Amino acid sequence: MERTPEIFEKIEKYLTNQLSPEELALFENEMANDTVLQKEVATHKAIHGTLSDQETLEVKEKLIKVSEEVKKEESSFTRTLFSSPIRIAATIIVVLGVGTLLWNTIDTTDELRNLYAAHYVPFPAEDITRGEPNPALQSIMNNYNKGAYGKVVKALEKDTNLVGQKELGVYLGTSYLNTNQEQSAIAQFENILNTSKYYEASRWYLSLAYLKLKNTTKTTEILEEIIEYKGVYKDNAVRLLNALTE
Amino acid sequence: MSNIDDQKIIEGIVAGDEAVFKAFYKKNRKYIRQYILKNSGNEDDVEDVFQDAVVFIYQKLKAGSLELRSPLSTYFYGVSKNIWRNRLRKNRKLVVTEEIPEDTAIVEASILEEIEDREREHVYRKHFVNLSDTCREVLQLLFLGKSMKEIAEITGYAEGYTRKKKFECKKHLIEMIEQDPIYQELKITSEKK
Repeated sequence: MERTPEIFEKIEKYLTNQLSPEELALFENEMANDTVLQKEVATHKAIHGTLSDQETLEVKEKLIKVSEEVKKEESSFTRTLFSSPIRIAATIIVVLGVGTLLWNTIDTTDELRNLYAAHYVPFPAEDITRGEPNPALQSIMNNYNKGAYGKVVKALEKDTNLVGQKELGVYLGTSYLNTNQEQSAIAQFENILNTSKYYEASRWYLSLAYLKLKNTTKTTEILEEIIEYKGVYKDNAVRLLNALTE
Repeated sequence: MSNIDDQKIIEGIVAGDEAVFKAFYKKNRKYIRQYILKNSGNEDDVEDVFQDAVVFIYQKLKAGSLELRSPLSTYFYGVSKNIWRNRLRKNRKLVVTEEIPEDTAIVEASILEEIEDREREHVYRKHFVNLSDTCREVLQLLFLGKSMKEIAEITGYAEGYTRKKKFECKKHLIEMIEQDPIYQELKITSEKK
């Protein structure tokens, strides 16, 4: 179907209920026999629907503007910084001489917190309740899936046998992590034996627990161990380690 | 980040506060960038995903359907990762990529569905904002339901010119949308359903 001004006008009138009853009947009949026209109308309708939301469009436009501004600021900062030999020398002195001071002055807390947020994803709730008649376990896993970590902690702390039998330690540990009980999370992850199928996952979350506590030495140590282990968390560990040392 | 900080950012996002967008961009873009570049993306992808994730959160906040169970930045990273993962999966024929890390497969089903639903809208907006100022002005009024006569009056263009411009701009917009690989993939997916 060739797109013409006439077809567009007709579609627009149809979408805004501006066709006369006769024109409407004719147009609907035409559509009923023409799937290409049906699709064209659907496309116009969807575009009109989305783009009539001006507020969202404005948000998108502001984000583009912000991105351009920040890039401009960054490039002008770089230009200013490296525009003369004296400045280069000054930069070197700053970097070498007071690097440590800078590191301590910059809000590393936020940096580490953001690193944690960027790398943490919830441990997947496997379908461990399949064929499982235990309603308590089902309720725990439902809460875990809903992100109701406080309830998970409460239930699993009450039923320690269940944690052992069903290997729920990693779920308890990540629930501790999500309720800001990092020390309990660490103890929980450390409890998971290297014979468990969740061992590698538990080491990964252990490294994140230390990261949350800003203990980068322990985080690094565990990440190196995970990399050595060469399992499914190796790539994650490499990425986080690189980010920490960048 | 404290709840109070999050609350301020949320209020700023809902109000469309540019200063808040800027601070949020400066603080969070690097983490998204790191993730996307390491997973077959480029700088343009980083910008697209960042903007689309903020728009996604904005729309959820406006609709009152955002229930934060984690800090806003964590939620934002989750949304961004899922948007990117979804796009990589859709474009797997076009993007030569290494295996995506295992943990990114973990997604909240409800969020993923919403992300999928919004993909088409992101494509529309992405190409709309790339149109010329004239095209945007004319089409924006059209989408608001204004007649050609009203658009001509508001813009000061002659009615004949407005009509011609409206057709050309809209045709161009639809063509750009249809050429977008994400849109093509969405079309295939919806036709299969």
